Formats: sequence, C-alpha cells, structure tokens
Amino acid sequence: MILFKIPIISQLETVARHVLNWFHGTLHLPWAWAIVATTIVVRMLLVPLTVKQIHSMQNLQRFAPQMKEIQKKYKGDKAKQNEELMKFYRENNINPAASCLPMLFQLPVFIALYYSLRTFSHEPAAKHPGSLSFLHFIPSIADHTTSHWGGYVLLVVYVASQMASTLYMSATADKTQRILFMFMPLVFVFVIARFPAGLVLYWVTTNLWTVGQGLITRRLMPKTPPPDLFKRTSRTPPKDDGGGNGAKPAAPEEPKAGAARPAGQPRKVRRKKGTARRR
Amino acid sequence: MYRIGVAAVWLYRATWGALFPTTCKYHPSCSQYAIDAVRRKGLLRGSALAGWRLLRCNPWSRGGFDPVR
Repeated sequence: MILFKIPIISQLETVARHVLNWFHGTLHLPWAWAIVATTIVVRMLLVPLTVKQIHSMQNLQRFAPQMKEIQKKYKGDKAKQNEELMKFYRENNINPAASCLPMLFQLPVFIALYYSLRTFSHEPAAKHPGSLSFLHFIPSIADHTTSHWGGYVLLVVYVASQMASTLYMSATADKTQRILFMFMPLVFVFVIARFPAGLVLYWVTTNLWTVGQGLITRRLMPKTPPPDLFKRTSRTPPKDDGGGNGAKPAAPEEPKAGAARPAGQPRKVRRKKGTARRR
Repeated sequence: MYRIGVAAVWLYRATWGALFPTTCKYHPSCSQYAIDAVRRKGLLRGSALAGWRLLRCNPWSRGGFDPVR
C-alpha cells in the first residue's frame, strides 16, 4: 500500500520514532518489544473509550430482538432501516455502542509506525543499533512479513486475533454483517502480508488487547441489565435531547417521528416477546 | 475541489474503514456525512463540519439522526 508522504505524516513518523527510541534507548527494550510497548500505551489511553463502548454494547444486546424486527421490516431499504434504528435508539434512550472516534484514533498510530518501520529498513543499521528480531522467529520487524517463515506464523496469529477481537468488539446486531466482519481478515491478510512484520506485530498486540479487555469486562460486568433500563415502558420519547449534539437533529426529526408513529407498534410485541424470551 | 474530499473518504472506506468495521452511531454515518458536507459546503467548511462530527461520534454522545444542514 502506498501512502503519500505529506508533512503531517512525517511529523507522525518523528513522534513514533521518538517513542520507539525512548523505549529502546531508555528502557532497553528490543525494537520489537518497543512496538509492543507503544501499542500497549496507545490502548491504555483508549481504555476509557472502550470500556464505555463495551458497556453500551451490552446494553444494546438487550434490545436485539426489537432491533431485529426493525431490520426485518425495512429489509430492502438500508437507509430507512438505519433511520428507524436511530429513532428506536432515541426513543429508548439507548446509546449506540459503535462510534468512529476510537477507531480513527488508531489510524495515525498505524501510519506513524508504518513509516518509521519503512525508514528502519532503508537506513543503515548503525542508525538503529540493536536487534530487529522478535522472539527468534522473526529476523527483522522492518522486513516484509512474508520474507521469512516466521512472518507466516505472525499472519496466522493476526487472523485468529482479528477474528476474536471482532467477536468481542463488533457492535452490530446484524448477523450477516457480523459474519462478514469475521471473515474480513482472511481477505486482508493478503494486503497485510506486504507490510513490515513490525506493523503486523502492532496489529496482533492491539487485537490481543481487545480480546483481553473484552474478556475482563465481560467477567466484571454481569449480563443482568442495570435496573434503570426497565423504565422504558414510557411511550413518550424523551423530550430533552441532551448535549449540544442532540439538540440539532431534534428539529428535522419531529415531522418524521410523527409520520412513522406505527413504528411504535412493534413495541407492544416487544413486551410480549421480552417475557417469552428464553435467554 | 470538493472531489478531493470525496475521494479521501472513499480511500478511507476502502482501507481503514474496511479493516475496522464499525457501525456509526449517527445517521448518516460519519463518512457519508463527510461526503455530504464537502459536496454542499465546499472542501474547507465541509471538512471542518466533518471533523466536528467525528469529534461528536464518541462513546459519550447519544448519536442519532444528524444530516448536514
């Protein structure tokens, strides 16, 4: 993959290089472990975001049957389906789990690592003293992943960890979409094979972190819903939209909310279903 | 001019967006919002709007129906 080098990217690269240098020079970590450490720091910074995300994801799962109903109702029209889902969220005071910001936060980290590893492979070894190998099975983290058999091992771990992390983090209730996301790494592995091994190492670490975080939060937070969520019997949608962001969309939504009032109908069914639900 | 912005969004969708599939909490999604924004408000204002939307698309916000206006 060719990424154009614009000024921001070289700045990102400098930052990444500084961080790696610090881990390597001050903490005497080998380069590969410096990458792992960087990844862990990045993920630690993201912990509050992901915890909140997992929280709302578990709440979301409770509404899965109703959401499935909406999805079935507007099967042909994806846009309408989304719109109805958003309305459903609002009416039931649900905070949808997925959000773009935490995912985007990792993009600059990735780009920065990509370029610093590329620099590693281009510059003389004297500029980065120390071994570039990782756990004896990858001779150099700056080389293409497939340049050595060890890289294939890393790729297998990547696919497995990516699948596992999708299992934990994919916020969508749509089953087909989930399955699609699960098998995405099998397609992307061919692209990723062209990346430096260190980048795959970053990816594996971040995925394993996601899985670990998912396991821990699942254990810490029982599946039983918080009691305040049972209040959703109220038929009136929440009046106050809360926050600056909610206030804006309120106006254009008013007429639609009125027009699509039958959307309230499945809620009746939901009550019955809720009691009959086995899970 | 706005095509640059649209192309950037498509590039994102084909690469990072496909690797980390998430469903946005807003409708239209952040990337669609960015496309709409640069189309209607031009590259500069559109990008600013899209950036602001991305900041709003965090785990603490409520999400929902939020088109470019």
